[in-house]
Amino acid sequence: MTHDVIPPERPRVVRDAKGKRPQFYETPGLDQAMSMILVLANELSVLHDRLDSVERVSKAKGIDLPAEIEALVLDQEALEAREAWRQGFLDRLYYLARKDAHEAAQADSDERYTSIIEDIATS
Amino acid sequence: MSQMLNTFQQTAHAMLPEINHDERARQEFTKSFKGFIQSGLLPGLTPVYRTRVAKAFERDQGRPPADRRDIRAGMVKDLYFQHYAAANRIAQELLWESTNISIDRQLPDLIEKAKALSAASPAKLDLPEGFETPRYVTALDIHCMPGGYATEVTKDDVAAGVLYDRGVYLYAMGYMGPFNDDMGRSVCNYIRRKLKGFAPKRILDLGCTVGHATLPFKELFPDAEVWGVDVAAPQVRYAHARAAAMGLDVNFAQMNAEKTSFPDGHFDLVVSHILLHETSGKAMPKIFKECARLLAPGGYMIHADLPPFDLMDPFTQFILDNETWYNNEPFWGAMRELDQIQLAKDAGFPSDTIRFDTAPMAVMEFVAEGAGYSEAAADAVADREFVAGEYAPGGGWEVLIAQKAAA
Repeated sequence: MTHDVIPPERPRVVRDAKGKRPQFYETPGLDQAMSMILVLANELSVLHDRLDSVERVSKAKGIDLPAEIEALVLDQEALEAREAWRQGFLDRLYYLARKDAHEAAQADSDERYTSIIEDIATS
Repeated sequence: MSQMLNTFQQTAHAMLPEINHDERARQEFTKSFKGFIQSGLLPGLTPVYRTRVAKAFERDQGRPPADRRDIRAGMVKDLYFQHYAAANRIAQELLWESTNISIDRQLPDLIEKAKALSAASPAKLDLPEGFETPRYVTALDIHCMPGGYATEVTKDDVAAGVLYDRGVYLYAMGYMGPFNDDMGRSVCNYIRRKLKGFAPKRILDLGCTVGHATLPFKELFPDAEVWGVDVAAPQVRYAHARAAAMGLDVNFAQMNAEKTSFPDGHFDLVVSHILLHETSGKAMPKIFKECARLLAPGGYMIHADLPPFDLMDPFTQFILDNETWYNNEPFWGAMRELDQIQLAKDAGFPSDTIRFDTAPMAVMEFVAEGAGYSEAAADAVADREFVAGEYAPGGGWEVLIAQKAAA
């Protein structure tokens, strides 16, 4: 996974196509959200292919990774490491829900935010 | 999995960029996504239209949808169609985005490679000073290709040509063959089978872009002088270098198909492939007239492009017209409403020589020569019913053919 840095003086290709982009959904922002989801799906697919390549290269070099992976027994340390990773991942995935709950606990509100702006401006 | 798996791979040649593992995987996904949209989402549009949209339209308007405009007015409000159309658009955008990465990375090398290949080729390359690219090519970036056909970001630029070469393979999901030359091959096969004994000495391919369809004519008629012309300098430059990389002496020039600089009666065969729908209402009659001017007596004009709308039902028209609205194809719909037979008559071709015909795709020929072209997968592509919205629906290309009167 090499990442070449292109020197600033080099000519660059055109990235965006000329022509107003249509919007397909009525909900504002959903067109952008859908394209971002597909970009993520694309990268997930790239990652899947890369892992598949790792297994195939290993097999060609005499290590049957798929079989070894199936045979792998997780010890206590590994079980804990994975569970911690998954909980951390879910926490990040639901960071807005976490914040929402936190705001509710603090009885935070839009009104409080607006009042702070006014307050800071004058105090 | 019962679905036929498309594993068609583009064959590398010296002018294509090196594509690393993840770049290739990213590009393969866009091709898979397009395939999924065609096989997994497109079929749902028909029941959605019949059971939901048509009924709602009739309820609101007191009459059933009458034409493709009515159908479109109803469909754009339906969430299933919104997902289908958005997915199509996003696939198109990701296709170019993922292709651009490897080109951006290697642009200076690609330019130098093109220069070296062209310099070593005996074939002519003509890029006149002060050439004006027509507005119908520059007003929008056609099929959402960033920069369009003609943008040059630096001197001797070939980036738009590279982008088109790789992008067409992904767009066509490999149906065009390992060298993207299916349209040219199909027309060549058509000539071989239907115009028996016709052996043109000079052949012109109008709107040739990178020469995908041009090169098969040199293969079929190796002794002929073959020319490809296009309005976009980076395409012409790339085409010349690519032909050289593939060992074929084919001449390329930057010219407008409406008014080339070749003398009267210079060619025995003038062809175009998916050119006409990217021109304009004013340009198309001029191109037909230019073909008539350029042809020697008894010579043939063959345009492989889109069939007219009047041959299709309104729902099929609606599906096809999505390209006009969502893929920066401004002339796609209007072109299908033109009377191309009449245009050929007006250009002076004798009526009894003008006809539409089908040139079957050459995809079966690729089984022997391209990676991933399994016989079963190629057969599944070649042997299909016409389904609007699929790439190359029905497994054939529509050709308009006319013959200039003998002297």
